[in-house]
Amino acid sequence: MPLIKVDHVVKEFPREHSSLLVLDDINVEVQDGEFVALVGPSGSGKSTLLRTMTGLIMPTRGQVLYKDKPLRDVNLESAMVFQSFALLPWLTVQGNVELGLEARSISPEGRKKKAEFYIEQVGLAGFEEAYPRELSGGMKQRVGLARALAIEPKILCMDEPFSALDALTAANLREEVIRLWSEETFPVDTVLMVTHLIEEAVAMASRVIVMSAHPGKIVGDIKIDLPYPRNKMDEQFNQYCDSLFAMIT
Amino acid sequence: MVNKVREKQKYFLVLLVFLVVAFVLVWKFGVGPKLHAGKLEPSNFFRLPLLTFYSFLRMLAAYVLALFFSLAYGYYAGTNRRMEKVLVPLLDILQSVPVLGFFPAAIYFFVSVFHHSHFGVELASVFLIFTSQAWNMAFGVYETMVTLPKEAIDALDSLNIRGWLRYRRFYLPSAVPKLVYNSIMSWAGGWYILTACELIAIGQANYSLAGIGSFLFRSAEAGSGMGLFLGLVTLISLITVLHLVVWRPLTIWAERFRYEFVVSTVSTNQPAIFSAWRNVGGRLHHVNVPDKLARVYSKVIRHGMSVVSVKLREIYSHLSAIVPKKLIGKAIKLAFLILGLYLLVEFSIGVYSLFRMPLPKEAADIPLAIFFSMLRLIVAFIISLLWTVPVSVWIGENEKVSRILMPVIEIAASIPATALFPVVLLFFINSFGGMNLAAIVLILTGMQWYIIFNLVAGVRNIPGDLKEVATAFGMKRRQYWLKVLLPAMMPSLITGSITGWGGGWNALIVSEYVVFGGTVYSVLGIGALLDKATYQLGSQSLMVLSVVSLVIFIVLINRFFWRKLYKIAAERFKIEY
Repeated sequence: MPLIKVDHVVKEFPREHSSLLVLDDINVEVQDGEFVALVGPSGSGKSTLLRTMTGLIMPTRGQVLYKDKPLRDVNLESAMVFQSFALLPWLTVQGNVELGLEARSISPEGRKKKAEFYIEQVGLAGFEEAYPRELSGGMKQRVGLARALAIEPKILCMDEPFSALDALTAANLREEVIRLWSEETFPVDTVLMVTHLIEEAVAMASRVIVMSAHPGKIVGDIKIDLPYPRNKMDEQFNQYCDSLFAMIT
Repeated sequence: MVNKVREKQKYFLVLLVFLVVAFVLVWKFGVGPKLHAGKLEPSNFFRLPLLTFYSFLRMLAAYVLALFFSLAYGYYAGTNRRMEKVLVPLLDILQSVPVLGFFPAAIYFFVSVFHHSHFGVELASVFLIFTSQAWNMAFGVYETMVTLPKEAIDALDSLNIRGWLRYRRFYLPSAVPKLVYNSIMSWAGGWYILTACELIAIGQANYSLAGIGSFLFRSAEAGSGMGLFLGLVTLISLITVLHLVVWRPLTIWAERFRYEFVVSTVSTNQPAIFSAWRNVGGRLHHVNVPDKLARVYSKVIRHGMSVVSVKLREIYSHLSAIVPKKLIGKAIKLAFLILGLYLLVEFSIGVYSLFRMPLPKEAADIPLAIFFSMLRLIVAFIISLLWTVPVSVWIGENEKVSRILMPVIEIAASIPATALFPVVLLFFINSFGGMNLAAIVLILTGMQWYIIFNLVAGVRNIPGDLKEVATAFGMKRRQYWLKVLLPAMMPSLITGSITGWGGGWNALIVSEYVVFGGTVYSVLGIGALLDKATYQLGSQSLMVLSVVSLVIFIVLINRFFWRKLYKIAAERFKIEY
């Protein structure tokens, strides 16, 4: 049984007189424990597909199954990390991380404990009372990550999570995400990530899905069979990159 | 569970008792004594602070109402697609239609409901102030709701944050910056209209409420320079104090509720602030007022609602024990149907009797009157643009100038110019130009401030890198104005113009027809016609006809001119990242 099954999904966005076809008959199955990267040029609908898979967006036609049941609302066993971090500027780091726990009506003490634990896990211990504007981009994204992890989701979704960060910070955070994903004690065991960087996909994912634009279609789907930590100088690494490039162009 | 409900009931009962007691007290004793016309003894000067305080209380009451109204209205209009289609055009009409034109009807309603008691007049005046404050705040909240960052909404959805928690944590705080900025405008608008709210005439009956607005008008009317001077000094002092202790710290505090759309180190949208105020704002930093406010909100409204619904359910279950459920549903439907029919009949009779009344011959003047009024507005608009565009650029680009000029403008905008009309009138009639020019000047006072407030905000929002591009490419001043400044200002210019014209139409009602020292000064115009119908002829049919034709005219102009223009400007000149 696949964890997520995308079944003949079509997504159209209404326009004034016509409608824009964003996803054209998509079929994907994601297994428990996979790290799937969605790559493709802008306009290929990769972000839309990610949002459809978590139930943030409902498909125009077709359906998404989670554990064999059709998804009718936001999947509460998934959490999302965003390109723009999407933190609330008027809440402290602690407040931002507790947000998702509040919605799940966990007691104030329980919330506090859990938030503190995950803030520490992403390396922000001591910054609980800081406001987002006082943090650097990399630290903000760590808060975004802690907020997602705090609800202890089965699936972690990331929409271009490192695009707004400088190269060095991004590299550090990538390693950390891989560490968290591979640790047995962590509830997260499946990751879905949207990126436009092929190297990033190959460096992190266990499987890469390639999409083409206008309308969004899947044009490639390959497993990356390399041990972690991966080396960009490695010959096989570059072969993967080259073959993915060939699919896009 | 039962205990919880009991507790909620206690809350609600306490609130109810409090309200009833307050109501009875106000009913019995009224709020403040009346100020009698023409009497300006020295003792009155000593009462000035008290009069100003009364006016302030009226403003505060109206503002609190406007705040709750705008938070609810803007939220529903901005987050519910179906509501948006109804609420936004409605707000559009409310904002651009001269509410002063509807004032006679509103006063009539409040005063007759409360049996000509002081309380009714007081409520009517609060209502009028409310109408000058609420719409622009509601629009502010609505605009915030529709420009919320998409990813933040997705984030809340994915965390399953909904309902009250979402409102409290997300919508309410997001609205704070716009709400604070628009509140300053609303208070200015409220002070401006204060005189008209404190001098209320229904047919032969004249009510004057004790307050600074009525005091100023009476002083001007009596030609008491001393009274005018002292009155203005007191009012301006109050406005200045409010600025320093309320609005400045609030503006700084509001900054923390702003999203950073661009990851940059240069902030382009910082208001001018003294460093001392930064400290006050900094201290406020850790007080999460919206959250506290929301908690009070929640306690009162939600608990109250739940008590009501529990009660209703109890009644329902009692009833359904006796009568079958189907019958109850039918009875409720029938009751609504009868009520609806009754209202329809009442309304039709009202309209019918209105048009059976003979129309005065002045009704034929309506089209021409609208035309002339329009001409006056155009002249006032051109004058407004001539000074506001350069001044707003000067303020928006220069922190120092802004620090000095903005408070001056905010205070100048707050002066109830309506109170000064007699003086303005005297000046123009005695020296040059006559009533026509006086009317234009008066319209100007109701129009220009909205334009400059919007323009300044627009200039401040021009991104720093656009200005840097101009410098980097060595643009000449003229080129910079034509290629960068004016296009970038276009959307805010149009928004400002729409609100400015709304203010202008409103001012029209009090500008074209001024009673001063027993003489009526008026020009041919729709505002004058309306006043004439209300105060001179006492013709309800003419009154309604003038208001309705004016409203239709304004709505048409908005639909086919301003909205179109705004759409074009928004598409062509929008700065996107």
